[in-house]
Amino acid sequence: MSGTRDRNGRTTSPDRPATTRRQFLRQMIGIAGGAGVAQLLAACGGQAPATGGGAATSAPAPAAPTAAPAAATAAPAVSSGGGKITLGSFADPAQDVLKNVFLPEFEKQTGIKTEWVEADYSGWFQKAVNDGQTKAGAFDVYVLDDPWIPQFAGGGFVANMEELGYQPDSDYVQAALDTGYWPPKSGPRQPGIDPNAKPAVYALPIIGDVQLLFYRSDIYTSGAPATWDDVLKTAKEKSDPSKQQYGWVTRGVKGNPIVTSFFVILHDFGGKMFEDNWQIAFNNQQGVEALEFYLSLLPYEPPGVAEFDSDQEGQAMLEGNAFAATMWTGWCRQTDDPSKSKVIGKVAFDVPPKKVDQFAKIGLFSAGIAASAPNKDGALQFFKWFNSSETQIKFAQAGGTPVKISAFQNEEAIKKARWLPAILKALTVGKPSPRTPDWSKVEDILGTWLNKALVEKGNAKQHLDDAAAEATAYLKSAGYPVG
Amino acid sequence: MVQVEAPTSQTTAARRRKLPRLPLLLLAPTALFALAVTVFPLGYAVVASLQAFRFGRPVAFIGLLNYQNLIADANFRGSLATTLIFTIAATAVEFALGMALALLLKDDLPLEGIIRSILIIPMIVAPVVVGIVWRLLYSSDVGLVGYMMQLIPGAPVSVLSSPALALPALILMDIWEWTPFMFLILLAGIQSLPQEPFEAARVDGAGAWGSFTQLMLPMLRPVIMVAILIRAMDAFTIFDQVYVLTNGGPGTSTEVATLMVYKTAFRFSQIGYGAAMALALMALVMALSFAIVRGLRADGQ
Repeated sequence: MSGTRDRNGRTTSPDRPATTRRQFLRQMIGIAGGAGVAQLLAACGGQAPATGGGAATSAPAPAAPTAAPAAATAAPAVSSGGGKITLGSFADPAQDVLKNVFLPEFEKQTGIKTEWVEADYSGWFQKAVNDGQTKAGAFDVYVLDDPWIPQFAGGGFVANMEELGYQPDSDYVQAALDTGYWPPKSGPRQPGIDPNAKPAVYALPIIGDVQLLFYRSDIYTSGAPATWDDVLKTAKEKSDPSKQQYGWVTRGVKGNPIVTSFFVILHDFGGKMFEDNWQIAFNNQQGVEALEFYLSLLPYEPPGVAEFDSDQEGQAMLEGNAFAATMWTGWCRQTDDPSKSKVIGKVAFDVPPKKVDQFAKIGLFSAGIAASAPNKDGALQFFKWFNSSETQIKFAQAGGTPVKISAFQNEEAIKKARWLPAILKALTVGKPSPRTPDWSKVEDILGTWLNKALVEKGNAKQHLDDAAAEATAYLKSAGYPVG
Repeated sequence: MVQVEAPTSQTTAARRRKLPRLPLLLLAPTALFALAVTVFPLGYAVVASLQAFRFGRPVAFIGLLNYQNLIADANFRGSLATTLIFTIAATAVEFALGMALALLLKDDLPLEGIIRSILIIPMIVAPVVVGIVWRLLYSSDVGLVGYMMQLIPGAPVSVLSSPALALPALILMDIWEWTPFMFLILLAGIQSLPQEPFEAARVDGAGAWGSFTQLMLPMLRPVIMVAILIRAMDAFTIFDQVYVLTNGGPGTSTEVATLMVYKTAFRFSQIGYGAAMALALMALVMALSFAIVRGLRADGQ
């Protein structure tokens, strides 16, 4: 194949170069195609056959949560079992205190070694799903974003913790604890789930995250805005784009970010995502009003919010460019950090404002014991120790965001983290994402159409109707009684 | 019958004697490995595409339903159209710029090595990093491009939140990243061409443009074909940069097909439907490749 003739496309052997070239091209096409499909299948290959052993069909655990409140400072009942547990997680600074301070402490107290394996958010989700599907047993504990719980519990990837011997106490923030039950304790149940199945604990909250209202106390001098109308009024009066001063900032990027921002307003306006029979409800009258209100804030927001994710939204607050926003609690500490914030002491926290209802969106860091965990006992010891009220108080005092009421109310912890009362208040009125494994698809559909509405600065009703039609078609194909 | 069978058996026996066993044995591991990494996943994808999945597990055999749904899926058709526009625009501009750069640098120039090294830097940067860098550039709050856009009266304040500009922005990033690839391949092709035909043309009075169109382009055809083919196939399956830069937005204006396959299979756990999409995409890549090969083969072979 070397020589001048080949490059010229003319050859002394008329048929050979053409055939070789064709073969070459076919090989390349084959390799490219094979590689593409192989990539897709790498993650889904080797699955165990469906066993029907998920929570949807398994018998509910007979045990009920204990009625007796645990003593807030009671020593956790932890046995020294030895061995090792592997905890897998997505990377997030909110877990630094757990990872760097409390895991070593757990090792010291119990003699159980720990290994922390983390990946980026999407990477960890795939890794955990693969481990759950294949029962590979690479992890003892999966750290889960709470919307993943329906898939992990329903798919049988995580174990029933009540059957393993865990009994949640009443010191938990109830709304946070409820996210770990499967089937869900309230709301509609997806098709195929026994309507009489008793909910059981499959995951526990480990870090209490929720959408808080962050507001500038030097702008809102008489306290947090009580209503959304107050937010709009202040934005109109005090925004000054020439000085990069904006009344509001939001995450507008398609998918989860914009849905999370809209979720709060939707529910505050009396709207909801689904009816009790899974019919789409976000495009009803309240939903349209909520989206119209959301769009009415646009003139008082930084330019380009349609591309804003959490980092840009948070930055607008820390730079002092925005007066208010609904953000995750991970940003609280940064507002008081002189190396990151230009508004030290000028940002306060509360539950998002009211319209018809007052609502906050829960987005917990949860964790469950892998159904294929090699050391289930060790994993259980970890939860008994870390989620004990005593450890949770220490966790809060060390800068972590707890999940126990006593920890939120601890004076010393509040001195170090003034936002803890606001988090507790928000968690108490909070709601999580809808409890179905199909939420991620519906969220993607809604997020795409919300983003379109934001870019077009209008057509709220039309875009919500389009989103509803698309989501309904999807739910119908997935077996939901809609349409 | 006996008369016919006897020579056949003899011929087969003779062939057996001629077949060297050692090379076959030595090739066997490679062949098995190739089968394992290409044929098995492909076969598995076909099987998966005929099944319905729940919680990431197959729950029912549904025949061709996933393919029927795929044909009716307006979002998938939209993502294919976006992918096709992206592929054609990016590959065409990269080819034109790559050829121009190759023509400029084909002769020995001072600092030629340094210039070439600088030119290929974008190509060796990881695609995810390219996506992050361009996201920062385009960003409306801290980006250079975003800042400059705000200086233009009437221009959209944000590139990545403008449905009209997001796809061109993506194409521009791809051009920046992959023009060096075209440049390198075309430069190697040009430098290996024989000089005699060009000298003869010059003696016969041919100009630079005539030499380029009448001699160089026809002689470079096989190189051009391979370069365009590789780039088109690569552009058709772009993923990392889109995932980082726009995640398909705003709306669905940059939702390329691979992103949709990824989300369907891995985020929504619809593995069967995702496999059907991946196979359809593979068939389209092959069809596109054949079309390119056919289009560039003037001799019809």
